Amino acid sequence: MEVSSVQRLCLHLISAAFQRCRVSEDLCRLSVVLKRSSDSDPSTVRISSILHCAPIELAYDVRAHKHADVALISSTFMKFCHEVIRFFQKILVLKIPVSSTFDSDDVDGFCFEISEEGGVPGSQYRKVFLANECNPVPFSASNVERLKSGLEDYVMKHGNSLHRKCDSCFPNWEHLKVGSGRACCAESHRSAGLQMEVVIIVSEISETSPCFRSSSAETEVLYFKDFSPCPITQSSLTALTNIDWKSYGLVLKSIAVQGGYTALEWENLPPNIHIDMVLHCYHKQYQFTPPGQKTRSNRNLIKKAAKLALEDLKEKHAGAFLSAHALKICSYAPDLARTIAGLILSSNDSEFQEECFSILGLQSQNIINEIVEDSIQQKIISVIQMNDGKPLRSKEAASSFLFEDERLQEPNIQEEEYDAGELVFSSLDF
Amino acid sequence: MEDLSKSSLNFFADQQLCSADILSPLEVRARIEVSVINFLKILNSPDPAISDLPLINRKSSNSRVSQGLLTDVSWIFLSHSFCTRSLTKSNAAKAFVRVWKVMETCFQILSQEKRVTQRELFYKLLCDSPEYFTSQLQVNRTIQDVIALLHCSRFSLGIVASSRGLVAGRLMLQEPNQEVIDCSACGSSGYSISGDLSLLEKLDLKTDARQHQHLTHGCLQHAIFQRLTEDFVFNQIPSILITAKGYPDIATRFLLHRLNRAFPDLPILALVDWNPAGLAILCTFKFGSIGMGMEAYRYACNVKWLGLRGDDVQLIPEQSLLPLKPRDLQIARSLMSSEILQENYKEELSLMVHNGQRAEVEALYFHGYDYLGKYIAKKIVQADYI
Repeated sequence: MEVSSVQRLCLHLISAAFQRCRVSEDLCRLSVVLKRSSDSDPSTVRISSILHCAPIELAYDVRAHKHADVALISSTFMKFCHEVIRFFQKILVLKIPVSSTFDSDDVDGFCFEISEEGGVPGSQYRKVFLANECNPVPFSASNVERLKSGLEDYVMKHGNSLHRKCDSCFPNWEHLKVGSGRACCAESHRSAGLQMEVVIIVSEISETSPCFRSSSAETEVLYFKDFSPCPITQSSLTALTNIDWKSYGLVLKSIAVQGGYTALEWENLPPNIHIDMVLHCYHKQYQFTPPGQKTRSNRNLIKKAAKLALEDLKEKHAGAFLSAHALKICSYAPDLARTIAGLILSSNDSEFQEECFSILGLQSQNIINEIVEDSIQQKIISVIQMNDGKPLRSKEAASSFLFEDERLQEPNIQEEEYDAGELVFSSLDF
Repeated sequence: MEDLSKSSLNFFADQQLCSADILSPLEVRARIEVSVINFLKILNSPDPAISDLPLINRKSSNSRVSQGLLTDVSWIFLSHSFCTRSLTKSNAAKAFVRVWKVMETCFQILSQEKRVTQRELFYKLLCDSPEYFTSQLQVNRTIQDVIALLHCSRFSLGIVASSRGLVAGRLMLQEPNQEVIDCSACGSSGYSISGDLSLLEKLDLKTDARQHQHLTHGCLQHAIFQRLTEDFVFNQIPSILITAKGYPDIATRFLLHRLNRAFPDLPILALVDWNPAGLAILCTFKFGSIGMGMEAYRYACNVKWLGLRGDDVQLIPEQSLLPLKPRDLQIARSLMSSEILQENYKEELSLMVHNGQRAEVEALYFHGYDYLGKYIAKKIVQADYI
């Protein structure tokens, strides 16, 4: 059997084992053992999941390397192992429920073991993936909650390459901004029961941290279909390209797929900010639908779910995901606040000042200029943030503030400057 | 009688009129304070927002014409249609902040009971907020925005626009507690018209020629003004000469209006170049303007067009006739489309455009340096003005 088909089969079997765990709605323990012997016996891959008997064994023929000094696992085998490890790292994001205590002397959670029987002692390699260690999820949690938790773990363990969260990068939870969204097809729809879940995490890593990556302007998009990692679909790519990232202050530079790895590249992302994203499309109940039919519903669902996730982020973290438009307006807030504060403070009418302070909720005894200015500035900025992305409301209240005049007609919004054509009787005035 | 004619007999026009009030510093400050309080209230309300600023539209679409019923004075005024300046439009946010900045500066000026010129204001704003104010024109427009917001005159805001106007001739002026000035003895530059409207308001005006039939006010261009003043034309043809040295400023229009009210029997005649811009200057004295439409309507006067007109072109040598420039044609188009322009003016304008030529008053010197005086005299005697 060739490596790639063995690999695919192996991954498929592991995936199937995960599905069994999930569907069983019971505690599971999953272990995958890749064994390689140095003698002429083919190496074995054993995948077993407790509660469901019969471990599956797969014979895997490996050309043994005849190196006298080092028991070197052949590169293809190693590559294969890495693929499996990578698969594991991803699938953990789904956080399929596992128990947290076990009687056996083995560790909790998923166990993935590569060992060499015989051969040079000490050449054993063992990799264990622990689920639920730093971020436990209750058994009754929904899929999207699990996905959220799973991605958080993924991020904090640097792509699940560590056993525990990286304390130097994530000393506390505040460095993560998490948003999630879920969309599903309407009952009447052809693809009823199709669910799309999106989780987006924005993390901030200090440049002094040892794990700081300079390539953080790229986001790897993890894509799952029916609880299994799989390459991203074209319709999903299209959907991601068509999302209005700009309303959230993000500018998508490019989107590329290479060998199963999907990367979004951003423009102007600060170097210490990193974005992670996971998409999961699944059916509530298994049903077979020919692939073509799903395309449009997929695309719309992804857009919807992604938008919900971005809105979630924006709502939870006021001021963090402002559109470029809002940021530009916010830049005028300090000057506007200073001007209005200046007006108030330069007045020699104490009644007027009292009234202004009272509206602002300030005590008139301890007024310093900066306090007034800051208070106004904060309020202006919070209004801008609150209204970012919402349609413009007409502000009738403001319009009639000075002159209560029924004769006021419909306002027409004036764009910047005056008509050049209005020569006579107008712009020649001075 | 004249007050009556101005006010209550223009029924519908009155209702549509949007006027800039002439207010005391205290009243203007009160209006600014109201603006601030309302802005803060809306900012801190349960449904907070950043208020837009409603500004009366200074465009021809919001301009109206008032034809006097008992008088022969018509004027242009602005009605109530408004546009808004908003912080929420990112390309217009700076303009929004500019309005507030000018309001702040005016508030301070008024609190200190001072006045500043538009130029001084420009420099102050340029130094305080260089990223918002880059030119005098921008400052002037923002001042007009504040007028359109607060509905108070520019002068009420404490801003004095320097005037370039001059007056000479049979006029005695006296500023309060000052010496009497004889405008016929001021030399060729005449008496400089101050930009300070309150000062102009307080001037005591006397002319010695009530009995003379042909005493006139002449609205002129500067070079002509100088020539006529040097030649003491106002002694030969009893008159008062005024020039704004170009497009008329409010102060010059104000003074002309005062002279008109003080000496209502004296006709006002205009001598301007034969081109659309010259006619535009005349029309501004006559009808007011849109740019300062909330104030200018007050100073409209019944100005008559003495020259140069179509019939005078024959007096001008061929070489002195110059082609009309594209800007002249633009002005002509704008004037033609104005409903306030009377038919005979439109005919003159058509002729200008049709011939494609323009001519300056100075071209008449071809006939000799004293020709101009004779030309004016002849026209006045024949009452050849429209």
